[in-house]
Amino acid sequence: MSAELVRVAVDSERCIGGGQCEMLEPEIFLLDEDEVISSVIGSGALSRPRADVVVHRCPGAAVSIVEPQRPSE
Amino acid sequence: MLSERVLAPADLQDPATFSQGIPQEAFAEMRLRPTLSWTPPSGGDRTGFWSVTRHAPVSEVSRDTDLYSSAVGHIQIYDIDEDALSARASMIDLDPPVHTRLRRLVSSAFTPRHVQSYETAVRARIARRLDALVQAGGGNWVEAVAAPIPIGVICDIMGVPESDHDYMIELTDHLVAGTSSKPLEPTAYGNTTDLRLLPFNSPAAHGINEYARALGERRRAEPADDLITKLIEAEVDGERLTDAEFTNFFRLMVFAGNETTRASMAHLALHLVEFADQFERLRSDPSLMDRAVEEVIRYSSPILYFRRTLTRDTVLQDTPLRTGDKVVMWYAAANFDEEVFDEPMRFDVTRPLRPPNVAFGGGGAHFCLGAPLARLEVAILIESILSRGINLRLAGDPVYVDSNFVNGIEHLEVEVG
Repeated sequence: MSAELVRVAVDSERCIGGGQCEMLEPEIFLLDEDEVISSVIGSGALSRPRADVVVHRCPGAAVSIVEPQRPSE
Repeated sequence: MLSERVLAPADLQDPATFSQGIPQEAFAEMRLRPTLSWTPPSGGDRTGFWSVTRHAPVSEVSRDTDLYSSAVGHIQIYDIDEDALSARASMIDLDPPVHTRLRRLVSSAFTPRHVQSYETAVRARIARRLDALVQAGGGNWVEAVAAPIPIGVICDIMGVPESDHDYMIELTDHLVAGTSSKPLEPTAYGNTTDLRLLPFNSPAAHGINEYARALGERRRAEPADDLITKLIEAEVDGERLTDAEFTNFFRLMVFAGNETTRASMAHLALHLVEFADQFERLRSDPSLMDRAVEEVIRYSSPILYFRRTLTRDTVLQDTPLRTGDKVVMWYAAANFDEEVFDEPMRFDVTRPLRPPNVAFGGGGAHFCLGAPLARLEVAILIESILSRGINLRLAGDPVYVDSNFVNGIEHLEVEVG
């Protein structure tokens, strides 16, 4: 299941603008230089192991994995 | 209840406990215990405190700023009065969301992307210092290399002119000395403020505040492309920083950007001598640089601890904690947690980057703002030493900074061949 894709999200209240997410996954995260808040760009989808690295590395604990939604919801 | 508490095996309040660096034996004993260790009140500590020495609970405490507050009480072990707390408060003494708003004023200068732009200047500073040391055939590594490089870099970013860098080194040296056994005279640097209200109870903090105020005035009249100007012009929730917010911010940046990287660079000299084979390995495989930098920083653990204060009752590592209890995260202990780091006492430039060490903090809102900058500075210093083929020999024992907070080295005589 290593190919499983998950979506990631940034909590803008917690983001401290450390830029780690953008450095690790530049195609998924963008750090706004003026606001100094990261946001998810594009699909926001990446493999679970890579998402785990970003979640763990985020100094502000602002990045989280959005669990895949069930079809019934 | 008190009788059930397991006491810390060393006096962690006494700087003398850290006079040979990290008290590895005491920390190893504490890590093996099922519960946190307790230190009863003494000296400036009115309540006693819990010591956290394992990696996992250090991360847990770091990340939960609601439960483990930086704004309630002090972030150092000794207690200070409410008026003193608010007089010296900078973002490091605050919790989100106030902390977050202040941090964002400066964080763009320290992102990995932005830090790359400092590389050329850092490289030039390091080259100048190393070349001078080689020419002199050696000297005090701290004074010649470890101290001037980080203060030079952070002062450049802040906008402090080169001619004042030595003065900043002097002031920050005295800052830590405020809590040591040999403090300055209360009136040093023209201080008129009650020492109780000053960080580290040091008159040098007054000197730094006065300097910041004067430089701020100059930038207000003549803005420049630096952090001082940014702080002077910054607005938080539509309001300018107050005079105290500004000076406290400046003092924090100068201290944190300096003392910490300086400690890593000082320890690096010891590592180069003691673990020469590891640096040979790095020389033959430069792709190990990121890991080598992380290992130098783990092994140095420049900041020994930060304290948090409980906002609710909880249980941590099978230890019941009450509202108002103090917990001390000993980063220097967690960085040698054998559950996380295989053979932790081994200095190993191939050690995996994950799980990360906690020298920059265990994660969460207060994670070291300058981590990318510190990593860059240490990497360039190692690279510059290796590329010049500099061979260090120790010409004396290291003299450690008299502190239970900073794992610094004050003096380290070296010869260069």
